[in-house]
Amino acid sequence: MTIEQNQKATREKTLATTYLELHRFGQNGDYDRALKAANRILHMAPQEEKALHCKIVCLIQQSKFNEALQTMQRNSNLSRSFYFEKAYCQYRQNQTTQALETLEQVEELDFRLKELKAQIFYRLERFSEAHEIYHDIIKNSQDDYTDERETNLGAVLVQLSDESQKDM
Amino acid sequence: MPPAMEPVPAKPLFYDLALNFVGFPSLEDKIEEGQSKQKQASGISG
Repeated sequence: MTIEQNQKATREKTLATTYLELHRFGQNGDYDRALKAANRILHMAPQEEKALHCKIVCLIQQSKFNEALQTMQRNSNLSRSFYFEKAYCQYRQNQTTQALETLEQVEELDFRLKELKAQIFYRLERFSEAHEIYHDIIKNSQDDYTDERETNLGAVLVQLSDESQKDM
Repeated sequence: MPPAMEPVPAKPLFYDLALNFVGFPSLEDKIEEGQSKQKQASGISG
């Protein structure tokens, strides 16, 4: 092996080891250590999209929404597909209209984008659109959050009936 | 005289469920990269 090949192999091994650490910290919910691991990877390899993705998730879990948004902005090339994370940060920063605009760039919404979109509509007081989404996701999802989701649907229905009373 | 009390609708409870879906992407490919280079094997998850 040449010295160069050797260096490359070492670097790849270090990356894989750090990713393994990152994975474990993430599974344990240790976002402080996970963030450090993600930063180590990005220091070695600034183009690692997955490390950046994890970094954003860590920042969100630490409620650092503004920092997450800025980090995505600084790395707009790598973070192009982070629609969910971007819209979620905007939602939490009360940039609700912008959050909706972010989601409108996605052609086909997966379940978590739909969930977020329903919350955004609720906050924008567009209750009938929120209602439509909840109707869809409650019918088509089976996870641990059924009760909470039905609570949210209930809130939407209360607001809808308030609206129709005001109209009378 | 204070004005008469009026009932106001309670703000309904509303959960932030989306936060539960903020998670890491799958890192399996990144973790295996370092190992599979040595063994050209198609692993269980490969």
